[in-house]
Amino acid sequence: MASETPALQPIRPSRRLRLLGDDQLAGLRAASLEILDEVGFHCPSEVALGIFTDHGARIDREARVVRLPPDLVLEAMSRAPRFYTMGARSAAHDIVLDGTAMYVATDGCGVATIDAVSRERRTSTERDVADMARVADHLSSVGFYWPIVSAQDHPATAPLHELRASFASTVKHVQSETVMGEPTARYAIEMARVIAGDEATLRTRPPLSLLVCAIAPLAQDRDGLESALAFAAAGLPVGFMSMATAGSTAPASIGGTIALGDAEIIAALTLIQLAYPGAPVFHSLMPGVMHPRSGAYLATTWEGEAAYAAGVEVAHHWGVPTLAGVFGTDAQVPGWEAAAAAPVALTLCALLGAETGSGMGLLDGCTVLYPEQLLLDTDIYHRVRVNLAGLDTSREALAVDVIRSVGPRGHFLAERHTSEGLRRLALSDLTEQLDAGGAYRDPLEVARERVRWILDNHHPEPLDDARDAELNRILQAAEGELA
Amino acid sequence: MTVDRPGLEPLRPAFRLRFLTDAQLDQLQEAALEILENVGVRFPSERCLSIFADHGARVDRETQIVRIPRDLVLRAMSTVPRYFTMAARDPAFDLALADGVTWFTNDGCGTETVDFETRELRPSRKSDVAAMARVCDYLSSMGFIWPIVSAQDHGSTAPLHEMDACWNSTVKHVQSETIMGDASCRYAVEMATVMSGSREELRRRPSFSLVVCTIAPLLQDHHGIEGALVLAEAGVPVGFLAMPTLGTTAPATLAGALAMGDAEIISGAVLLQLAYPGCPVFHSLMQAWADPRTGAYVSYPLAARVRYAPVEMAHHWGMPALAACYGTDAPEPGTWQSGVEVSLDPFWAGLTGPEIVTGIGLTNTYTRLYPESVIFDDDIYHRARHALMDLEVSPETLALDAIADVGPSGHFLAQEHTRRHMREALQRSIAHQLNERMTYRDPAEVARERVSWILDNHHPEPLEPAKQAELTRILAAADRELG
Repeated sequence: MASETPALQPIRPSRRLRLLGDDQLAGLRAASLEILDEVGFHCPSEVALGIFTDHGARIDREARVVRLPPDLVLEAMSRAPRFYTMGARSAAHDIVLDGTAMYVATDGCGVATIDAVSRERRTSTERDVADMARVADHLSSVGFYWPIVSAQDHPATAPLHELRASFASTVKHVQSETVMGEPTARYAIEMARVIAGDEATLRTRPPLSLLVCAIAPLAQDRDGLESALAFAAAGLPVGFMSMATAGSTAPASIGGTIALGDAEIIAALTLIQLAYPGAPVFHSLMPGVMHPRSGAYLATTWEGEAAYAAGVEVAHHWGVPTLAGVFGTDAQVPGWEAAAAAPVALTLCALLGAETGSGMGLLDGCTVLYPEQLLLDTDIYHRVRVNLAGLDTSREALAVDVIRSVGPRGHFLAERHTSEGLRRLALSDLTEQLDAGGAYRDPLEVARERVRWILDNHHPEPLDDARDAELNRILQAAEGELA
Repeated sequence: MTVDRPGLEPLRPAFRLRFLTDAQLDQLQEAALEILENVGVRFPSERCLSIFADHGARVDRETQIVRIPRDLVLRAMSTVPRYFTMAARDPAFDLALADGVTWFTNDGCGTETVDFETRELRPSRKSDVAAMARVCDYLSSMGFIWPIVSAQDHGSTAPLHEMDACWNSTVKHVQSETIMGDASCRYAVEMATVMSGSREELRRRPSFSLVVCTIAPLLQDHHGIEGALVLAEAGVPVGFLAMPTLGTTAPATLAGALAMGDAEIISGAVLLQLAYPGCPVFHSLMQAWADPRTGAYVSYPLAARVRYAPVEMAHHWGMPALAACYGTDAPEPGTWQSGVEVSLDPFWAGLTGPEIVTGIGLTNTYTRLYPESVIFDDDIYHRARHALMDLEVSPETLALDAIADVGPSGHFLAQEHTRRHMREALQRSIAHQLNERMTYRDPAEVARERVSWILDNHHPEPLEPAKQAELTRILAAADRELG
């Protein structure tokens, strides 16, 4: 019998925050528009160049640089929907974006796995994607699933194998960040159509969405643009992410890095809206800072906290939902560093009203899967979620009558109010687990144990045989064409 | 040889958040007033009972319970100063409490030290207090200093020796949380008078302040409250700290625990205002939880919602707040748990705007000093400080000229703008320090090294020999009388 997938527990902040003033947002938008109009961006896709030409953009065919007049950008972006639904295989797990809640996904596209059993580091496989989809399916913290690592045992069609593994192992929404190029996108959409069951469901409750990375500074990837266009044509949500890095691929000031990254994202979102007005899109600004000595991209710098959060407000200023960067860490092993950075970023993005975020479960600059990290990040997620809920100040909660009956110097242990209250107290699944001697256990050990327990015990509703066979048939066809 | 001490870097949040509504704050305050008027607080001190009786409170001499009519509470609280100055040996480090700025200190009263040299766990001593005061004197995160551990090598005058160690090792303001009782407090005032130069100057620029703990439920400590009166008479700021534990010494609902702790604090503040109207007082409430299975004290359950509600409650009374950050339940620093529990604290506190905050540098629920803990916590502090900063959006930071110069697909490494801003774009966390192989060093190793470096290189201006001698003389007298 299949295991039940727990209901999602999104973060519903009781309060909201504005980080940037209207004048700051206006300044950032004016800068993006100026960059798009005067500097332009590199667009190596003939299909995309054709769409831009048809709509009056200024094209330098030789350099493949596109310049967009501000009016064209503003008009196109006005078509983008502010909210929509990201469907799931199980309707109860649909994500309805409406501005009241934040849903967080796993991280994705890691390349190495620390084996949950042998603890050895090895190249990631399709099996890892499936196993971790099952773990994610069990966790109420995970709103939707990114194939967490790359299915490197299927080189030519890895992204499609990742989708098959994901759809088969979780009933939640799946978002890919690896489907690149029109042919692969075509197969991916076909798989989504099988999961949705029919065309109408595919469009109203799309079970799959896509994230495409822009290339800083100011360049688009041909395959990325063309797969995004295919997804948009089918009604599946597409988002663009900029990872502009202050100091190397972006100016060494946070303001400039945000403006540049935003321009890259808006260039692509404009393309999608010109081609398919009203298509569901999202905006994802995850800038880094270059380490001045090594040149490395740093995800979790002190200064970066504000930049990630600012990205949320910039997205909303354009009237589109955001995918916020949360949990990404440069830490190489589970420990203090990952724990020190993640909670603030997640809290800030939730307070700013981010609709979605991603990043749970990987370490080392989003490249290495430690299965227990997903449990550790889940603990952080719930701490933030509970912290952001409000305070109950009802007469019952104020407990003045209980305080009166206990009086000065008494204790509350014998009160019924106490036993009821303590029963509701949420203790951490990881830090407050007792051993046989009554001492707290090592949370990392508890997390590793939880992963193994989930893998042994949680088997979500499988795909029915017909859909399973259909996905396999699509994969075979894809391998015939692409391998 | 010595090095320049960095200037203070308090939190100056660019944005603030109210977690409680006015209605909720009124409900909490009404509950505290009801408790004070109908349940009462026990004051085991004839002097205190007389002060209350003289001002019309209902005093039960037999049970020593004081019930304070709401009008009397409100009248007494109307003379509380909203802000005051916590002065320092070096006036450049005076803290003028004000809206919009938050000063931190280290934790205090730990009982165990991991030895600086041998790394063995042993009872804490006076030399630890001095060494850590010197480390904290150097750190820009530390606005003022608490004696971080107990000077257990000095028996019953340990609290005065802790002050002596601090005043000799830091030019910053010193706050004690251990001086108790009329006699000790008179010696402390004498020592502080030496530091300030005169009683008038001590009143004008108090060089130390005191935190007095109340006892839940609804009890004042005899020595604590009598000592508080001595300091209030001298114009030294006194704060009352309530530590209600949900489920044992307080109701198991958060609002009830907060209302009861608030009543304890306000009863002390009212006493001081009745005795010395206008004397500086502050408010501090640190709620904790009882583990329902073991009764153990838990600082960081998952459900630590609205952690900084007490700050808003203090401000609702028109008092400055001492908030509590850090103090992990984890036994050691640098672990996942020690990061995850505390990493939201300074950010979260900064959002609510307390004037002063304690807690940097101890583990094992405020009991154990690892010298490097302050560096881990300092790192988290600066991450929060940056997350709370305003984003500068100006022509210089938007860098449109540099972006135009580089254009699509270039890089920013050679830009003059990059050279101008790279240093401020990335301040390196202890997690981003490189070794010779250009990989990141273990943050724990970096933290330990930094403590050693400060101890080897930072030697604050010594106290004038005459003042040193005077403090020693007073200590000797105290040792004779109290030791």
